[in-house]
Amino acid sequence: MATETEKPVAGPGTVSSAVPVPALGRIRRLGRALRPGPAPDANGAALYRSWWLPWLWTLPALVCAAGFGVFPFLNTLVLSFTDAKPLGGAANFVGLSNYTRMLGDDDFWLATRNSLLYAVIVVPLMVLLPLLLAVLVEKKLPGIGFFRSAFYTPVIASSVVVGLSWQWLLKDEGLVNTWLEKAHLIREAIPFLSDPWLILLSAMGLTLWKGLGWYMIFYLAALGNVSQDLHEAAAMDGAGPIRRFWHVTVPGVRQTMLLVGVLTGIGSLRVFTEIYMLGSPTGGPGGQARTLPFYIRDVGLDPLSGNAGYGAAVSVALFVLTLGLTLLAQRLTRGDEQ
Amino acid sequence: MRARRLTGSLTCLVVLSLTAAGCGLSGGSGGSDDGEATAGACKVDAGNVGSGKLSGDVKGNITFQTTNLKKDFGDFFNGVIDAFEKKYPGTSVKWVDDPGDAKFTERNVADAQACSLPDVINLNKVTATALTKSGYLLNLDEKDPDAGKPFVPAFWDSSTLKDSSGSDIHSVLPWYTGGINLTYNTEMLKKAGIDPEKPPTTIFGLFEDYEKIAKSAKGKYYATMANPIWRLPADWQQMDIKVYSDDGKSFVFADDPRTTEWVAWMKRLYQGGAMPKDSLSSSDDPSTPYGNGQVAYGSTNPSFVRFVKQNSPSVYDKTGVGQYPFDKLGHTTGAPQYIGVASTSKNAATALAFGKFLTNAENQTAWCKDPNVVIFPTTTESLEDPFFTDVTGDDPFGEARKVVAEQLKTATADEVVLSDPQRNAIVAEVQLAMQGKKSPEQAVKDAQEKANELLTQGS
Repeated sequence: MATETEKPVAGPGTVSSAVPVPALGRIRRLGRALRPGPAPDANGAALYRSWWLPWLWTLPALVCAAGFGVFPFLNTLVLSFTDAKPLGGAANFVGLSNYTRMLGDDDFWLATRNSLLYAVIVVPLMVLLPLLLAVLVEKKLPGIGFFRSAFYTPVIASSVVVGLSWQWLLKDEGLVNTWLEKAHLIREAIPFLSDPWLILLSAMGLTLWKGLGWYMIFYLAALGNVSQDLHEAAAMDGAGPIRRFWHVTVPGVRQTMLLVGVLTGIGSLRVFTEIYMLGSPTGGPGGQARTLPFYIRDVGLDPLSGNAGYGAAVSVALFVLTLGLTLLAQRLTRGDEQ
Repeated sequence: MRARRLTGSLTCLVVLSLTAAGCGLSGGSGGSDDGEATAGACKVDAGNVGSGKLSGDVKGNITFQTTNLKKDFGDFFNGVIDAFEKKYPGTSVKWVDDPGDAKFTERNVADAQACSLPDVINLNKVTATALTKSGYLLNLDEKDPDAGKPFVPAFWDSSTLKDSSGSDIHSVLPWYTGGINLTYNTEMLKKAGIDPEKPPTTIFGLFEDYEKIAKSAKGKYYATMANPIWRLPADWQQMDIKVYSDDGKSFVFADDPRTTEWVAWMKRLYQGGAMPKDSLSSSDDPSTPYGNGQVAYGSTNPSFVRFVKQNSPSVYDKTGVGQYPFDKLGHTTGAPQYIGVASTSKNAATALAFGKFLTNAENQTAWCKDPNVVIFPTTTESLEDPFFTDVTGDDPFGEARKVVAEQLKTATADEVVLSDPQRNAIVAEVQLAMQGKKSPEQAVKDAQEKANELLTQGS
C-alpha cells in the first residue's frame, strides 16, 4: 500500500521531475481517499480516509433533498409574505397580511377543524388496527397467505377507482343502504354522500381500509423481531392472549407504532383524494367537508383566481400543525419510555 | 443517545419539510426589468409581443398539443400535419396529446411559467383566459388582423379574452363546438302530462316540467341530478342574468332578483323529489342515470344522444330531443375548443400558420364529417356544407344534429368564465340553500361575497 512518505521515481512513462511534486501528491491522496474500505488505525478501529468522503457519497441525496424538499419549503415560506399569483408576474411583499387574513377566515378554520378531526380519528385506528391484523395473519395456518394478499390488495388499487367503488357502495340506493334497509335497521337511506359529517367519516373509513394492508406489512416485519421466548415465559406465568398482546407484543413493536403514528398523522393532514371523490370538487355540500389541502387548492393554485401567497401561508400553517403533532407524538413516546 | 436524537430530529425535519413542500406553491417574481420583450416572466422574440404584424418565414420545428384526441383521431391529425409539412417545406410539426384531465389547466400554467408552452395549443376557455391574462398567447388583433375572416362572425366577435390590462383581445382561434340540446325520456314526460313536442322556452319553464315529473314519478325516478355544478353559470347566462360587472372586476349576479328565484326553484325541486338526494354534491352527471332509466332528462349535447343510441337502445327508443330554452338571452352560447399560439414560440410564424391551417374550412369540415365524432365547425364556409345545412334522419340523433345546426346560426362563444374555486364557492352556497340550511336570499348574497373575495385576491 502506498504511503505519504514514498517518493516518485522518475523514468520513462512516469511524471518527470519538471512536474511539481505537490500536484502528484494531491493525486495520490485523492486516489487513496477514494479507494474502497476504511483504513485501520493503530488499534485496528476503522477510520475514514478523508472527512469529506462521507459527504461525497451522500451528495446526491443531499442535492435531491435540498432541491425537492428544502428549497420548495423555503420558497413557500417566502411566498407566504407576498401576494404572488400562480401565473407568475410581479409579487409584492405584504408582510403578515396573509396570516392575519387566515386567522379571520372562517373557511380556513373549518378546514383546520376537519383536518384535525381526520388526524384525531384516523391515527389511533391506523396505529392499532393494522397491528391486530398483523397479529392475526402472522400465525402460520394453511391458506393464511391468501388473507395477507387480500388485506394488501386495497393498497395497490388506484385511489380514484377505490373512491368510485365507495361512491357506489354509499349512495342512497347503494349496497350499504340497501342491506341496512333489507335488514330493517333503517327506514330511510343514510345520507353518506350528502351530509358533510358523514362524508368526512366515510372518507376516514376509505383511508383506513386502503391503509390497513400497508401498515400491516410494517407490523409483520416488527413482529418477527419480538422474541418468542418472552411470549412463552409470559404464558407460563399465566398471562392470557390479551395480556401477552399488551405486555409483550405492544412494547416489542413500540418504535414501529411511533413510525406508523407519525406517517399516518402526516398523511391524515394531507388528505385530499378521498374527500374529492366522495364530496365532489366542492368538498361536500357547502364545501363543509373540505380539509386544509383542499382549501389550499381552492385559494392558492387556480391560475384565474388563486393567490399563491395566501395559499403558501395556509401551507405554512399546515406545516406547523404537522410539526406540532409529530413533536407531540415523540414527547408522548419518550414519556412512556421513561 | 444524543446523536440518535439529533438524527431523529433531523429526519423529522426533512420529512416535514417534504410535507410542506408537497403542499407548497410556486410563484413568479416579476418580469424582466432590462427592457427585453417578455411574456409573463419569459423572455420572448420581440416580434411576438407588442404592436405590429408577425413576420418571419414559415419554416422550422414546432410542437402542437391537442387534448385527448390522439387515441381516436390519430389518422386525421397525422394527415393534417403531413399536408401542412408538404405545403410548407422545411417545417416539422411534433404532435403531443395532453390527457385533458382535471389537472389540464394547472399543467399548462406550469408549462407557461417554465417558458415551455407548446407552440400551438388546443385550449378550453378557462385555460385560454388564464394564459391570455398573463400574455402567454399571441395577440391576434396585432399579429394577424385578418385571422378572424374565415369564422362565423358571431363566433369570432365573441371569442375575445381579457389581457393583463383588462382589454378584450383575440388571442385564440375558435375551433370546433359541441352544441346544446334537451334530451328527454318521452314516456316519462307523457306520464307527467308534458308534451314532448313542445319543449319549454325558458329555464323556469323547464323547472316547472321537472316538478311535474317529480309529482308523477313519486320517487321511482327523478327529473335530473341535483348538483348545481352542472347548471352554473350556464343557466344564469341563458336567463341573461348579469354575472360580472361591466368592467369584469366584481360579481353582480346577486343584484338580479331572478338569481334568488332560481335558487329557490332549485331548493323546491330538490326537496320536492325531482332530484336524487345523494346527487347534491355528487360528481355524476345525468348521463348514466338517464341510460338506466333513472332520470327523465339527460345530458345536453348531441354526442350524448349517440351515446344513448349505442349503449341503451331501449331508452333510445323513448328518447326525444328538443331545442334548449333560449330564455331571455335569445340564443345559445357555444363552448368551443380553441387553438392558441404561444407568444414564447421560437417559430411563431410557423406556429400561427399551422393554427390557421388546422382551423381552416377544409380541415374543419373534414373532421366534423368523421362518423366517430359529433362536433360542429366554426367557419362560415363549413357551416354552408350540405352536411350541416341538409341534416337528414328523423331519429333522435338526427334531430339533435338538426337542432344544433340551427342554433349555430345565431350562437356566440361568449360563455361566462368562472374559475373552478369561484364556481365551487357559488355552488357550495346554493347547495346549502337546497338543503334548507340557508335561505335562498342569504345563499345568493354569501355566494357573491365569496366569489368576489376570490376575484379580488386573483386580480
